[in-house]
Amino acid sequence: MREDVLRVEGLSTRFFTGEGQVNAVENVSFDVREGEVFGIVGESGSGKSVTGLSLVDLVGSPGEITDGELWYRDAELADEVREEFPDVVDGEYVDLRGVPESVRTSLRGTSLSMIFQDPESSFNPSLTVGEQIAEAVEVQQRASSRPRSTRARTDGEEYSLGSLVLSFALPSRRYVSEESRERAIELLELVGIPDPVERADEYPHEYSGGMLQRAMIAQALAGEPDVLVADEPTTALDVTIQAQVLDLLSELQAETGMTILLITHNLGVIARMCDRVGVMYGGEIVERGTLEDVFRDNVHPYTEGLLGSVPDLESVGGSLDPVPGNVPSLLDHEMEDRCYFADRCPKAMEACLERPPDTRVEADGDHVVKCVLTDLEYGESPPLPDDHFETEGADASDGGSNESADASDKSASPDGGDSR
Amino acid sequence: MSIAKFLVRRTLQAVFVVWGVVTIMFGLRAVSPGDPATLMLGEGATAETIARVRAQEGLDEPIYVQYLDYVQGLLIGDFGYSWRSNREVEAMVIERIPATLELAIAATVVALVIAIPLGVVSATRRNEPADYGATLFSLLGISTPNFWLGLMLILLFGVWLGIFPTGRRPVGLVEAIWTLVAFGSAGDLLTWLQHITLPALTLGTYFTALITRLTRSGMVDELGKPYVTATRAKGLPAVLVRYKHVLRNTMIPILTVLGLQMGTLMGGAVITETVFNWPGLGLRLIDALDARDWPLMQGIIVFIAVAFVTINVFVDALYSSLDPRVNDE
Repeated sequence: MREDVLRVEGLSTRFFTGEGQVNAVENVSFDVREGEVFGIVGESGSGKSVTGLSLVDLVGSPGEITDGELWYRDAELADEVREEFPDVVDGEYVDLRGVPESVRTSLRGTSLSMIFQDPESSFNPSLTVGEQIAEAVEVQQRASSRPRSTRARTDGEEYSLGSLVLSFALPSRRYVSEESRERAIELLELVGIPDPVERADEYPHEYSGGMLQRAMIAQALAGEPDVLVADEPTTALDVTIQAQVLDLLSELQAETGMTILLITHNLGVIARMCDRVGVMYGGEIVERGTLEDVFRDNVHPYTEGLLGSVPDLESVGGSLDPVPGNVPSLLDHEMEDRCYFADRCPKAMEACLERPPDTRVEADGDHVVKCVLTDLEYGESPPLPDDHFETEGADASDGGSNESADASDKSASPDGGDSR
Repeated sequence: MSIAKFLVRRTLQAVFVVWGVVTIMFGLRAVSPGDPATLMLGEGATAETIARVRAQEGLDEPIYVQYLDYVQGLLIGDFGYSWRSNREVEAMVIERIPATLELAIAATVVALVIAIPLGVVSATRRNEPADYGATLFSLLGISTPNFWLGLMLILLFGVWLGIFPTGRRPVGLVEAIWTLVAFGSAGDLLTWLQHITLPALTLGTYFTALITRLTRSGMVDELGKPYVTATRAKGLPAVLVRYKHVLRNTMIPILTVLGLQMGTLMGGAVITETVFNWPGLGLRLIDALDARDWPLMQGIIVFIAVAFVTINVFVDALYSSLDPRVNDE
């Protein structure tokens, strides 16, 4: 069995907004194995993207990772920090939450990289694509030439404002070297952009969406990361282009052996790309396991609903609309202490009014579900009446601002499942 | 669209603007009360002398002939003679340009040197004391009238503390630099610096406050854009994200404001120049207005218009090199 490259334990990320505390990611645990594609699937507003951003430590204010451990496997890094921070080292693993921010910053791009949903807004519009990719190459070049010691990492920013001012006067002191520019052109070629030499000097607005997503992948590859977090990499693209970009990711993964954490709402993409998958709902991972576990042997009614295969559910019949209702508000004061899905769940029971624990379906297995149905049969606990949440839980299901987006997400899910 | 085509179009537009200014000025002069010959000669002039001057100046011609004569003169660089001093208007404008230019540039330098770092600090430390301080400063700066600020600075630094002189411009920058280069004496340059400090601060304060606010709000906007997260995700040092990416994009719209303000400043800061008795175009314009010296007034205003549109065409050209999308629209 391949080893874990990333182990996420009890990750919680909260946003402290004017309306109150938003629990965007709630006690999330999963592990990602070396060289695999781990998928995270869920509706908009389920916390998928924030989970991705948390991994690369890019949750911006007013958000904050409030709890949890991010164990990343890097033997070299473990040796470096073992003396100074013995508590955060476990064998070859380092808890990235326990090391100084400068260490996390130094891993960004070179160990953990991220690509985003909308390539057009993810490039700076006023710099050429080549220049922006060359910057990423330069990050990697400088990281590999620098002695990897904690001291160098924690001594602070090596590229200061002074260096920047100096570079205006002396072109030779510019951040991006000529070699990096050449490497950027190679990378553009690698991701299948024709005429890379000319295209490198063009600006993002001169690219099509698909080309730009390829360029963004090139940019992420520039750092030669171990783990690539791909946040909805194909959502903004035309369907025909989507397949090309996914193929490209697979090819590149086969070449480089990198690990991909693929975040998407599209079950078709998951089925096509992933080895294992986690289903997110209400900021939690409600079910995770292999593709087979989740697509065929799923336990959680939400997973079932998401797949649109609801054979034992008379009330819905053959309809493909999988989950009635809206994603829950993630505002802390509106979240009740129960299974967050209970108000939409066709199998809600009284046992669901308590928070379900993560339960393994088989004791030594990898299939983990956050649902009482793992241990109980439906009916072992008294079913909740249909109107149970309409009175007391009305507020909780009303909140949130993503309803319209969610509806479109859900409708995308069932056909995604069919295309497997 | 190529940059050359873009510039040709903008230049043509600029010519129309200047023509409009010339025409409006001429029209104002035609409808304003008072006979120019009487103004020139004073109250005691005889009717004969007045008639002679009217004929000599072409004032008895029909108005459209006068207009055509005037525009024709402008086209060959003949702005006419001042009614009051009987000197050539061109000379009277040109001799005042250095003082105005010095003040405009000094005020802009003050503004940029203070405003951009202040705006950046304000935006990157949002809702911290530094941000509140910068916001308060820009609020005060924008709402303080120039004449009051000038007088207060004179009172504080000129009269009470005696650090800076209270007005005048005994030496120009060019002469001062010449003295330094030719004779190795920095005395003149110091004198110049002393004299320009208070006017530059007075004129620059509003400008500083404005640019601070624009930098702050522009940078806050930019920092929230997805490309900033993406740029950080590839591991680029924070300094480069902040300045090479974010500040650069913030500066693009600010450049337009800067250009507009420079154009305004070229017109001579009338109030500041008056308060500090700074011998620039603004002061001359006030004198011309007092004396109803129409040719001089027209000359100065046409010059201001030309300077204004020229700077704007220049800024547009610069803009298109900073923001690649401009050329494609």
